[in-house]
Amino acid sequence: MTAVWAMIVKEFRQLRRDRRTLAMLIFMPILMLVVFGYAASFDVKEIPVRVLGPAADRVAAVLPAPFEVEGVDPSGGREDAVTALTDGEVPVIFLTAKGGLRVLVDGSQIFIATGTRAAVSSITERAPGGVAVEVEVLFNPDLETSAIMVPGLAAMILLFVGTIITSLGVVRERQAGTLEQLAVMPLRPADVFLGKIAPYFVVAALDMVVVIVAGIWLFDVPFRGSVLALALGAVLFLFVTLGLGVLISSVSENQGQAIQLALMMLLPQVMLSGLIFPLSSMPAGVRWIGYLLPLTYFVEIARGVMIRGASIVTLWPSYVFLAIFGAVVFGLATLRFRRSLAPAGRRRHGAERELEAVGS
Amino acid sequence: MSWGVRGMTVRFGDHTALEGVSLEVPPGRVTTVVGGDGAGKTTLLRCLVGALAPDDGEVRRPEERRIGYLSSTSGTYPDLTVRENLDFAATTYGLSATETRDRAAIFLDRTGLTDAHDRLAGNLSGGMRQKLGVVRAMLHRPELLVLDEPTTGIDPVSRSDLWWLIARAAAEGAGVVLATAYLDEAERASWVLALDDGRPLAEGTPETIAAAVPGTIAVTAERPGGDASRRSWRRGSRWRTWTPTEDVAPRGARVQPDLHDAVTVAALARELEREAVGGEAA
Amino acid sequence: MTPLAEATDVTRRFGHLLAVVRAGLRVDPGEVVGLLGANGAGKTTLIRILLGLLPPSDGAVQLFGVSPSRETRRRIGYVPQGLGLYDDLTPRENLAFAGAVFGGEPGTLPPSIASMADVPVGRLSLGVQRRVAFAQALAHRPDLLVLDEPTSGVDPLARARLWETVRQAADAGAGALVTTHHMEEAEECDRLVVMADGRVVAEGTVADIVGDTRVAVVRTGEWERAFEALEAHGMTAALVGRTLRVPGVDPQAVSRALGDVRAEVSEARATLEERFLQLTVGERAGAAA
Repeated sequence: MTAVWAMIVKEFRQLRRDRRTLAMLIFMPILMLVVFGYAASFDVKEIPVRVLGPAADRVAAVLPAPFEVEGVDPSGGREDAVTALTDGEVPVIFLTAKGGLRVLVDGSQIFIATGTRAAVSSITERAPGGVAVEVEVLFNPDLETSAIMVPGLAAMILLFVGTIITSLGVVRERQAGTLEQLAVMPLRPADVFLGKIAPYFVVAALDMVVVIVAGIWLFDVPFRGSVLALALGAVLFLFVTLGLGVLISSVSENQGQAIQLALMMLLPQVMLSGLIFPLSSMPAGVRWIGYLLPLTYFVEIARGVMIRGASIVTLWPSYVFLAIFGAVVFGLATLRFRRSLAPAGRRRHGAERELEAVGS
Repeated sequence: MSWGVRGMTVRFGDHTALEGVSLEVPPGRVTTVVGGDGAGKTTLLRCLVGALAPDDGEVRRPEERRIGYLSSTSGTYPDLTVRENLDFAATTYGLSATETRDRAAIFLDRTGLTDAHDRLAGNLSGGMRQKLGVVRAMLHRPELLVLDEPTTGIDPVSRSDLWWLIARAAAEGAGVVLATAYLDEAERASWVLALDDGRPLAEGTPETIAAAVPGTIAVTAERPGGDASRRSWRRGSRWRTWTPTEDVAPRGARVQPDLHDAVTVAALARELEREAVGGEAA
Repeated sequence: MTPLAEATDVTRRFGHLLAVVRAGLRVDPGEVVGLLGANGAGKTTLIRILLGLLPPSDGAVQLFGVSPSRETRRRIGYVPQGLGLYDDLTPRENLAFAGAVFGGEPGTLPPSIASMADVPVGRLSLGVQRRVAFAQALAHRPDLLVLDEPTSGVDPLARARLWETVRQAADAGAGALVTTHHMEEAEECDRLVVMADGRVVAEGTVADIVGDTRVAVVRTGEWERAFEALEAHGMTAALVGRTLRVPGVDPQAVSRALGDVRAEVSEARATLEERFLQLTVGERAGAAA
């Protein structure tokens, strides 16, 4: 019996010191709580709308929840409406015209679209014999889930390959002890750095292209925007993820640790970036987390470019956010990588322990 | 009651790790198993402690509680402190707290580990970790202490402390067997078994092995030419050449073979034999 | 003659800890120099400084007559303790990578292991791995070889062959700096440099270093009792076969300590290891005082 007890005591002691596992044990439940408590919802409670056309003021005054009128433009016409939707300014536009009321909906936001349909039909039910209301879904008229999932998938691939796979690749070098040999060869730190991440850049990009092409061919996913716009977004996002991958590897001693850290960075992003659960259905308190995550912005870019045909210009905030985030993360990664190119000692604090690692 | 193995044979698939190996480990003595990587040392020791079942041969060992074993790969838990490692060992072997504390204190003090009492084993230097591993293995006064390459790659001061522990264990009556790749260590033991590719290469006391070298060893400044070059090896800045039979006159200054020479000669002889057989078969 | 590597009065601090203190070292063409030291003696730090991986806090380091740079790296062949090979690549691929980095032809494997050129390194035995690592280090014909514990864990015959490779390079004009923990390896070198607590405490051939140091040797049939008796008097005895060797104590004191244990006490020349321990422990005791 004492042997079993001895084992238990030992395991607890080891667990106490394994900070990463402890972090996961605490962090994961909290994340799940937040996600399923607040974020995981497909019901949209608030739908921002704009009202255009001659009867705009009158209609705006009587529009009930869940519609929130954020703008009124009596002089606006259909063209303005389509442009606003393409640019992603607002997901729903009520267009008043002589014949009646037309509700134009952004088909790339499926839950808002279905929510709008449901709300409109319940309104017309309650007030029959009123004005004719027609709902028109743009960009993705059949509300195919694949249309929004494929861009999301492309984003996930870049995230996964960039973060997990890259960090594993770099950590492998440290684990094997060959980093030391590299340090003594006539190589510049930049040579090693670029040589290490370039393959993952290529693989990630290739993967993404394959997925998108398959989506277009097999699932009729639209691609209305410019390839350049998507490519630019992808490159910027890759800088972020590759940088994260290298950073993760610089604080991990082995592949197990790298994966733990990478997972902790990945899961919140997947859950809270609008990839699965729409941001609009999250309460503001949780939504802001999503606005801090790089994945959110690339999903925005991917969906906007592919489904709505939005341009770089209109999506500029997302590009800028990714560029800044990328510059910071990539810059940090380069600095840390430079330093880590010295032969690896154990992660210690204090001159004494460094001395010991070095003197053995 | 002497511990040991007789006629040990172990196969892994079609690879023979050990063949017909016998070894006696008398209590109160230090026995060494010498050989390079892949010679079969670890396999032999694992059979001896019961961690591996041989395909043939017999083993004489005490019951598990009376055995102390330090494997070559991991003797300590890196994320436990020195004290916690020893606590775990003590509890597992059912030792009383006071008895262990006193005994451990002596060992830790003698090997310079007292100050490291609350340090994580993973943060210790290689030498200190190995010392801790040996202390852990002999804490419960085993009758058979088996150490697999405890001194490989560790610094000389730690090695000397480690040998103190080994001597202490032997003085307490344990039969100690250790595996090593270094002949100067084997020279400190009372019995040596040299293994090569799973087969015994030489065995006996260091003196008898050295004395049993057939033929002569000559030392020259340059490598000799012709046939003799096949039987030469470098030691330091000079060459040593082995001449198997007495009647072929050896060149160069003759030296008394030491253990190092004996093992090298035995390995050479085996290699030449293998080539001769291979040549005939071809 | 320009030394291949020279450290003059090198000191290195980590915070307020002194890892290396006014150490000097030099390797000339054609010689094999052994660097011997216990843990924390500063061996590895000094090597790193020589390789240009770490700057000295004080003192000067020169490689081939100039300061360490990316260019001097081209003339060095380094075999670290971990061998520095990629386990998941074959010897051929490893050599190709090194060849591309250093420029020039990729190295060739010695004929006896050429048949294993296309087996991933991770699946080869340690002895073969070491020979691949050596082949890689020598491929670009370096002028200076730096070897960290080159023959640890290798059997005597294979060890002799590895050393043959080193000697061949030295005969051709290169120099070798070997760090080691083991006296057997130390004895293969032309010259030794012994470090303890960051300082160079002895230099020269084995004979120079051992000098006149002697130890007391106890021959007895009751070695266990002798051991205990000596311990009781605070004398550290080392068991060698059936004799006990007691360094740093005069034979008469040993006889007295043995009391009624029947034994024969004589004196013998110290081994390199015993002298080394004396130097190391002595330095520590001095530093602590």
